Amino acid sequence: MILSADASLVDVAFAACTVLAQAGETAVLCGGSAAAYYVPDLYQSLDVDFVVEVGAAPHIVDRALAALGYAWVAEGHYRHATLPYTLAFPIGPLAIGREYVTAWRTDRRGDLLLHVYTPTDVVRDRFLHYWAWGDRGALEVALAVARARRADVDLEAFRAWTERELTADGSYQVARVTRFFDLLRTG
Amino acid sequence: MRRDDLRPAVFGTATRDRVLIRLALSENGLHVRELARQIESSANAVHRVVIALERAGIVVSRPVGTTRIVLLNRRWYGAVELRALLDRLAGAYPEVVERAKRSRERPRRIGKPL
Repeated sequence: MILSADASLVDVAFAACTVLAQAGETAVLCGGSAAAYYVPDLYQSLDVDFVVEVGAAPHIVDRALAALGYAWVAEGHYRHATLPYTLAFPIGPLAIGREYVTAWRTDRRGDLLLHVYTPTDVVRDRFLHYWAWGDRGALEVALAVARARRADVDLEAFRAWTERELTADGSYQVARVTRFFDLLRTG
Repeated sequence: MRRDDLRPAVFGTATRDRVLIRLALSENGLHVRELARQIESSANAVHRVVIALERAGIVVSRPVGTTRIVLLNRRWYGAVELRALLDRLAGAYPEVVERAKRSRERPRRIGKPL
């Protein structure tokens, strides 16, 4: 499979997910790159983050990604000779906060496929960056996805999840959840 | 670190145990050199441990000036349980706890008597 010189992050994500699926591995697009998939005009990323669902043998991943022109550069990281996007494979399992992610969305483009966090999970994931570290940029991305994919984001599920996280770790600030909903309502 | 240390390496090595226990005692994280000094290990050994733990998602680091501050990743899916275990294990490492107590992380007004 050949990636064109002007391939976008989404093109790379579809291609990588497809070659890994053909090699028998399920890789799910997550992190900031999943946000960039849903709001490409608002959020750019040069890292394409995948978590391989079940721990894959490195040589299988190496061989699959080599077919796209990607080569291993460091533990869990692959680079292309000309494209600016780095493929990153954080160690799994797929989880947001304390909860494992066991379901995701699969989109298709012709023969290509992409496993990706649902919009609700992207909002949870980006919001958690803000919640844990106070990262305002991540809050903006969470809000952007929630606004752009309003029909797909389950805000009640999101709220219930924040309550479960708070039960487990009382040091999280409730005020940040309130702020998220306030900004979503007024923004 | 004492070579005759007979405490079990719960996380694989004594350095790894001490790094995690010391980080659990820190509110704002520590840079690698300070972390190494506090657990009486070499900066290189601690650096290697930190890289492995960061890769596993158990710790995170953030740049501060020309250095990086390392702290436990509260976003990690096992963070609450890990912290509880480290709090328990800290009891077996009184020297690490004692050094942590003496290490002040909060700002201190210039000129204030010690």
